[in-house]
Amino acid sequence: MSVTYILETIISGILFGGIYSLLSAGFCLTWGTMKVLNISHAVFAVLGAYMAYWFFVKGSLDPLLSLPLLALLLFFLGGIVYRLIIRPVTKAKDVIMASMVVTFGLAIVIENVMSYFWRPDPRILKPPYTGASFFIGEIAISQGPLFGFVLAILAIGLLYLFLYHTYTGKAVQATWQNPVGAALVGINPERVSLITFGLSIASAGVSGVAMAFIYAFYPSVQMVWTLFVFLVTIVGGVGSILGTAFAGLMIGFITGVSAAFLPFVWVNVILFALLWFILLFKPEGLFGA
Amino acid sequence: MLEGIGVSKKFGGLAAVSNFDFSVVEGQIVGLIGPNGSGKTTLFNVITGFYPPDTGRVIFKGREITHHKPYQIAKLGIARTFQIVRPFLELSVLDNVAIAVLYGRENMGSMEKGRARALELLKFVGLESKKDVLAHQLVAVERKRLELARALAIKPEFLLLDETFSGLSDTEIQEAIRLIYRIRDDLGVTIFLIEHVMKAVMGTCEKIIVIHYGLKLAEGRPEEVSQNPLVIQAYLGKRRA
Amino acid sequence: MELRRGVILNLEQDKKLVDNRTRVRRLMRTSIVVLIILLFLFPIIRPPLFFLTLFFSVFMYVALTESWNLMGGYTGYVSLGHVTFFSIGAYTTALFMNRFGVSPFATAILGGIFAAGLAGLVGYPVLRLRGAYFVISTLLLAVIMQLIFMNWEFVGSSTGLWFKLLPVSMETNRLIFYEVMLVLATLITLLVRRVEKSKLGAGLIAIREDEDVAKTIGINTPWLKMQAFILGAFFAGCVGGIYGYYMSYIHPDITFNINTSLLILLMAFFGGCHTWTGPLLGAVILSLANQLIVTFIGAEISRILYGLLLVIIIIFMPDGVIEYIRASQFFQKERTS
Repeated sequence: MSVTYILETIISGILFGGIYSLLSAGFCLTWGTMKVLNISHAVFAVLGAYMAYWFFVKGSLDPLLSLPLLALLLFFLGGIVYRLIIRPVTKAKDVIMASMVVTFGLAIVIENVMSYFWRPDPRILKPPYTGASFFIGEIAISQGPLFGFVLAILAIGLLYLFLYHTYTGKAVQATWQNPVGAALVGINPERVSLITFGLSIASAGVSGVAMAFIYAFYPSVQMVWTLFVFLVTIVGGVGSILGTAFAGLMIGFITGVSAAFLPFVWVNVILFALLWFILLFKPEGLFGA
Repeated sequence: MLEGIGVSKKFGGLAAVSNFDFSVVEGQIVGLIGPNGSGKTTLFNVITGFYPPDTGRVIFKGREITHHKPYQIAKLGIARTFQIVRPFLELSVLDNVAIAVLYGRENMGSMEKGRARALELLKFVGLESKKDVLAHQLVAVERKRLELARALAIKPEFLLLDETFSGLSDTEIQEAIRLIYRIRDDLGVTIFLIEHVMKAVMGTCEKIIVIHYGLKLAEGRPEEVSQNPLVIQAYLGKRRA
Repeated sequence: MELRRGVILNLEQDKKLVDNRTRVRRLMRTSIVVLIILLFLFPIIRPPLFFLTLFFSVFMYVALTESWNLMGGYTGYVSLGHVTFFSIGAYTTALFMNRFGVSPFATAILGGIFAAGLAGLVGYPVLRLRGAYFVISTLLLAVIMQLIFMNWEFVGSSTGLWFKLLPVSMETNRLIFYEVMLVLATLITLLVRRVEKSKLGAGLIAIREDEDVAKTIGINTPWLKMQAFILGAFFAGCVGGIYGYYMSYIHPDITFNINTSLLILLMAFFGGCHTWTGPLLGAVILSLANQLIVTFIGAEISRILYGLLLVIIIIFMPDGVIEYIRASQFFQKERTS
């Protein structure tokens, strides 16, 4: 086993990790601000992947170009879902439980609608530039993951800029940290929730495109992706976008290292066992509030 | 009966309680007063085992309870109420108390027996007409009575009261003072209370301990403490002292 | 600011309310007993096998949901890993039957014991977690166990395990399992009900209402939670043992299926998880609906409808059906504001 191989697997892992980060960022956002555990988050990622796929296959529109449209559409979809489904649930006595159950129902519906109309066959999103490999010396970096990673980092960056450098974004953060205080200074919690949720779903969709660069996808893969979301969120803590980002990268790194030395099947076991231990001993996550 | 020696508790960089000594003799009613944020509830949390102290010891009836768990401390005979009352909202008033009867020092076996005893306790605090009402339907004052009844249900020898008098009207304060005396005299429970309402403190306590920024500022009879310049300064600022 | 919500007790209305309540209770009790007897006798009329299969599934979900509710509803600790214990039961039964030829119905108990053992092992660290973290850790438990079982030779890894069949006809087979699962479901429901009314149940409910306060009234919370967890696991394990034998083939994808865990959760939540009647109601209604839709319309459509139903129900009754009924006029005392 050469050094090159080890480095390749590790780098690959990190790239994957960055993509997982974006996948989880939106989930983290809704959990943090609204105490809503959106189990349907990953299914919107899959939906985003399909949307990019159809734009590409039917409309010959490159996935990177269809992104803005995709994000916008999903933002509005998120708003609708918020109004119809999430908002009523925030009035429950146990918001976390109720939101978990209702979004689980939603996830089942969306997954099976996709499955019904688009069949459960796996799809791949393969624009031409994802085929080749990029070389640093002897180390080959597959361009699919690389593009996905860059996309993810950019998206997370945008999210970060929004949260920390725009008024609305800061309002979101304020609500996250102290809902009552935020309301008292005149921040409209309704609007914040609406925007947050829309943003969350939009980011899910974009992350779905990134995921599509590295994985084949099909409706029921949403459950696997949901586990990744949990993984990153728990490790990173629900405290911040950056925390999530680092957590994702770390997990990617660990994935890479384990994949270099262990049979692939055990990698997942290790990951989830690791997650389990972190949950047990440091449930706030490594960067959690 | 209960004493603490050199108790300290820090949260992050903030010392909530510093090197605090206190003692309460059996049969006394002792008050703990101090400005907001001075560490009073933290002290109660340390005593009842919710936080282990960083330094120091807590001793109850000669027995070291510093690192005991909350339920063990309850079983040893120390009960407490909370600053913001925490009734079991979905349960009836009777059941709220009955569960405490079952798991307290009377250690009963069934809900029927527990409920019978709970009824007596409700009569003691004056809530028996509300016994089947769900806790979330109670008014503030009634909830306080419930909190008290539940604490008494574990048959404690020592009771920690956290700001029981807050938000009460004058009449209610008088009633509550009478109730406190009955708890001490009829039930033989020693009382240690945190309070802001001076009327209540002066009306019930034989001894007052003053805490400020986690440190003991003064200790003594109510008349002495209220004249103490340090205490006045802590509450009202330097100029008034 | 507390809103004044006093209660005025009017002796006459009070009595009528009490009468109403007892009347309904008695009615419910008798009708359930009658129903169970009828169910036991049902096979005598030689119904199509489809019904036996259908009801088997319903009984199974009743048993699973009731056993789950000890932890989920009474204690307030929602476990998404209940399916793990179910599977351990199935696998234990399979292994003991195949290797030692022990009777399947005895090994189901053994399956329960092994499941309880796992719960005991895992319980100590897991039960220290609260809220959503607990939920996720139980989900992860199921996932990890599934992965392990998929790759472990001893339990057949991805090939699965086959059970030796009973030397009887298909019909008798179904009949036997129908009755066995009915017995199991009834027993478990009764036991869960017994716990609810016992001192243990009261303690668990206190934990759910306010765990810190529960500690201050002398409740040894870790120990009580452990009891609920282990007991629930034991029941699930027994059910798993019977189920495995019934299916005569088990595989990690089938037994560790997260969907089952979530289904259980939904049934309990739908029916209302604060009392023993909730999971019963939820399991009966939802598993019947599910089976019927799957059989007659199709898996995907059924899941879509099922999901939609769930969404709609939670939106209108975020706290579950039974709570909704309780809160309604029939049982409420008169309120004045």
